[in-house]
Amino acid sequence: MRIGLLTEGGYPFATGESRFWCDRLVRGLTRHEFDVYALSRSEDQEEQGWVALPPQVQRVRTAPLWSSEADFRTSYGRLGARSHGRRERRRFDEHFGALVSAVCAGVTAGARAPGPAGTARASAAASAGERFAAGLYGLAELAREKGGVHTALRSERAVRALERACRAPGAPRVVQTAKVSDHLVLADLLERLLRPLSLDWCDEGEGGLGAVDLCHAASAGAAALPGLLAKRFFGVPLLVTEYGVQLRAHYLAAQEAELSAPVRTLLAGFHGLLAAEVYAQAAVITPGNAHARRWQERCGADRSKLRTVYPGMDPARFAAVGETDGTGADGTLVWVGRIEPAKDLVALLHAFAQVRAAEPGARLRIVSAPVVDASSAAYLAHCRALAAHLFPDEAVDARTEGESPVLFEELGGPGAAEPADAYASGSVVVLSSVVEGFPVSLVEALFCGRATVSTDVGAVVEVVGGTGLVVPPRNPRALADACLALLRDPERRARLGAAGRARALELFTVEQNLAAFRDIYLELVSHCPVRREPADGEPLPFALAAEAYVPGAWTGGAHGATGPRGTGPGSTAFPHAGGSGATGPRGGLAVLTDRATEDPLPDDAPADDPAHRVSDRERRTTGPGDRPSGPGKRTPGPGDRLADPAARPGAADTTDSVREVRP
Amino acid sequence: MTTQTADPTGMAETPAHGLDLSGATAVAPRLPVQPADASKSAPAAQATTVVQSVAGVQAGAGRPPVGSGRPVATVQAPAGRRTETDGRTRTPRWAAVAGRGEVSGQAAASVRTAARVPSAVAPQTPADPVRVLMHRHRELCERAVDPLEIAAGLEAHGVTDRTAARFRHRDVFSLAEELYARVPRADEEDATAHAPAPPVRDGSLPTGWAAYALLPGALCALTLLGAGRAAGGLRVALLVTGALATALALLLCLRHGPLRADGHTSWARTGWLLLYAVLGDGVLTRLLGDGPLWTPAPAALLGLAAALAPAAWCARLLTVQARRRLTVSRGTEDFGSAVRPLLFGVFGLYAAALTLLLYGASRLGIGGGLAVSALAVGALLFLARLLAVHGLPDAGSMGLTFACAAEITLLGSVLASRLPGCEALAGPVRHAVRAWGAGAVPAFACGAAALGLLAHAAVALSQASAHAAAPAPTGGTARAGRRG
Repeated sequence: MRIGLLTEGGYPFATGESRFWCDRLVRGLTRHEFDVYALSRSEDQEEQGWVALPPQVQRVRTAPLWSSEADFRTSYGRLGARSHGRRERRRFDEHFGALVSAVCAGVTAGARAPGPAGTARASAAASAGERFAAGLYGLAELAREKGGVHTALRSERAVRALERACRAPGAPRVVQTAKVSDHLVLADLLERLLRPLSLDWCDEGEGGLGAVDLCHAASAGAAALPGLLAKRFFGVPLLVTEYGVQLRAHYLAAQEAELSAPVRTLLAGFHGLLAAEVYAQAAVITPGNAHARRWQERCGADRSKLRTVYPGMDPARFAAVGETDGTGADGTLVWVGRIEPAKDLVALLHAFAQVRAAEPGARLRIVSAPVVDASSAAYLAHCRALAAHLFPDEAVDARTEGESPVLFEELGGPGAAEPADAYASGSVVVLSSVVEGFPVSLVEALFCGRATVSTDVGAVVEVVGGTGLVVPPRNPRALADACLALLRDPERRARLGAAGRARALELFTVEQNLAAFRDIYLELVSHCPVRREPADGEPLPFALAAEAYVPGAWTGGAHGATGPRGTGPGSTAFPHAGGSGATGPRGGLAVLTDRATEDPLPDDAPADDPAHRVSDRERRTTGPGDRPSGPGKRTPGPGDRLADPAARPGAADTTDSVREVRP
Repeated sequence: MTTQTADPTGMAETPAHGLDLSGATAVAPRLPVQPADASKSAPAAQATTVVQSVAGVQAGAGRPPVGSGRPVATVQAPAGRRTETDGRTRTPRWAAVAGRGEVSGQAAASVRTAARVPSAVAPQTPADPVRVLMHRHRELCERAVDPLEIAAGLEAHGVTDRTAARFRHRDVFSLAEELYARVPRADEEDATAHAPAPPVRDGSLPTGWAAYALLPGALCALTLLGAGRAAGGLRVALLVTGALATALALLLCLRHGPLRADGHTSWARTGWLLLYAVLGDGVLTRLLGDGPLWTPAPAALLGLAAALAPAAWCARLLTVQARRRLTVSRGTEDFGSAVRPLLFGVFGLYAAALTLLLYGASRLGIGGGLAVSALAVGALLFLARLLAVHGLPDAGSMGLTFACAAEITLLGSVLASRLPGCEALAGPVRHAVRAWGAGAVPAFACGAAALGLLAHAAVALSQASAHAAAPAPTGGTARAGRRG
């Protein structure tokens, strides 16, 4: 099927955040076709170029969120060439006013803090969410029909709308103190954030989001906006994957930025409402770990939509080390990672001092990725000084040269060319961070079959499970004691290492990650019939299963687009709508999720409902003489379906009922 | 040795200690493993290590070691301690080690023990532990716009749900909510009122732009003065070189500095207006029948070139003052009413400077006198540029178009009057020239356009959106440049 991969500041740019997992995903799912829709965050990012793209990526479309509005207008301004007339201006005022008033109200109501149902706070939050969505889609429709929304967002009208919303009764006090300059800054930021509305990505034709079967957004921020529009205008299901929660990243970034309090308040309100809307519209949300999951739940994601999909890593690099029986050099602790203060190497050194006091033969290897920035270099120097202070060089006897028991190395150096070598050289892998996201080095240690001692931060407990020791952060004594316990017990080390490797192989491989996404794709598409129309021009939902779509042209086509056939086992049923159809020869067919009933835009649905047409057509094309054939014998044709019965809900009873009506 | 003095008390407080998991579950129900009490009072010299597990910790030691499959925790106690460990099935949280005086688990904190029993190990536990946290993260809490921001900040400082449990909170979010509720917000209003006005610094302004702005005038003056003293080929060479240099300096001033504008520059129209200002009067007089054709008035050109400097200074003055008013204005109306007098003031300043310069140029004796028409051209060009600088190039170019069209039409009417039967066409121009001189035609055309533009600017430039801070200079904006 064709996946629209939506990213912001990530894949396919070479400096993107999400590029690694996106790259693995795209390369791993070779039987799907990917269209990448990327928003870039900075000019620097665009100049760094793209990563190498596999052939599955059919199309890449990018747009900048950073350039000036004038540039955006020149490059993407096909839609913004005309200035708005009076009617468009009124529409803009109405929708943008709804959007910003919802943002103001959402700040007061705490839209992102789900209160108990039925309370005034919860209902205020819900109404803010509704108004936000109405405003957002209203602007999107205006942008689609008339264009020029990005210009209007910088106009005086936008500033006045912001001013009105901030002065409205009930707006929080901090927002009411906003000055004109704050409104201007906010209008500028909103224009950038809402640029995806003005892009021509949301077309039905080739290369537009209307033609994809599924939108996969790499975050819930601006990247998911095109997905929201595709869902809104074409009913394309949206899948959101977040390894780091966008809203949290926004808060952390906002602390750095020099923005005034009203701007930060409103911006936070906007991001919160946007995230809530994305979570509400997404069919499935896949957080990368429990921490992301908690944030998503907090931001209003429905718990039933959440499915944790752990990031996948390639275990092959560590197979050689992991499969050998040895547990590494006795008495050696290894730390692997990027040097930064959050890793708390100082605590590690202090802990190691206590380990040395109990076990004089113990050694510590600190293997770091090459240091690039100044603050890391300063921290490394500090740690080296501390190590030199705590552990003077020592030698076995009077004739040999002395050596410090703490060894600082760089990955790629002679001691540790590969990460696997670094892990192999130690018997216990230590992680002493005080702040940690998803600890990659810990997963690698597990792949290597090494026993681990880690601090309880971030997703460490989730990763380690019961296969390693976990101590509180900032507690060198506990760390030392745990290390000692493992150093003194090789048998236990081996046991924990094996258990850890088994756990990692089960949970953190690329294969499980890909399998999870493959399943989710199929499941989502099975709920959302494909809207791609057959060659003969008559729309026929389910006539072509999305998973039957492969890049390139079909070689067969004996059956052509002759409509539903193959009612044997393994084929799928058709949406069956309209009461009259129930009396037809195939009245017993199971009803699948019908797009017409789920359509978010029932008002705009044309009078000739596709579902009705389908049932008519069904009756026409399937007569008693129509020989059903099994999927195995068929030559695939554009009108054929190659559905996996398991992927379709209700497929089982479908076949039953089909059998009943078969002549 | 005894690991923990508080422990017996803790046990005494919770008699069903060994079986009671409910407390811990209530504290952190969503954790994969429940936090629980610190390690036992095992007076062991060896380490009694406790390993957390997915399935819960089986305290019975001597379980068969598990090598693979689902991770199973093992607790290994030295044989002598087995009975003691057996009695306790609570899931210990940390690999707490009973090797030393304090036990790490104590720091990790059994929620209840730490909260209820001021232990002897940490005797000075404040009654309100959150207060310490408030103090530590005061700045974060004061700046935060909502509880989630505090939660994000706390997590970045290493506060986890387990830490939050120490403060008797379910998770970081509820801890953050308490902090948000308890810490008063920094009063931003006072802060902004007392803060010094932010310096208006524009990254795109090159240093010394104020001096560059003098270049075109200076070069033009040198050229004209030099050409007046030279003769023949030297004069032509001087004129050509000087014109080129002046044009380059002009380009420099318009591309960098306060007169920089994104979008198109109407070079052709500007050129026509300048050309007419220099040569137009002579041509018109000739067309009307009397006087020489070639009576250039380079003084107007010199005055206009020199006026680029006050134009740049005035544009900068407007930008700076308008931004200052932006930061203090409460609403767009306030801002508009504050900026409008400023705009007129700036325009008046420029007009005065222009008049002075034109007068000065006319006194140099290079040809031409002080002309009202040149004043009108200068005002028109300034206003058009000012509008373009603030992102409204369309109105400016419309004004220029109007002025050019008016001049061409009036000239054309005089030309057309030579056709048989159309003599009346030149009537109005002839009358005007007879009454006020040849300069009346450009003065009328440009003056009308300038007045229109001034009225438009009074409306458009008093809008806040016209004074939005220029976006950070990027290659993109530079690329957009100006094409004429």
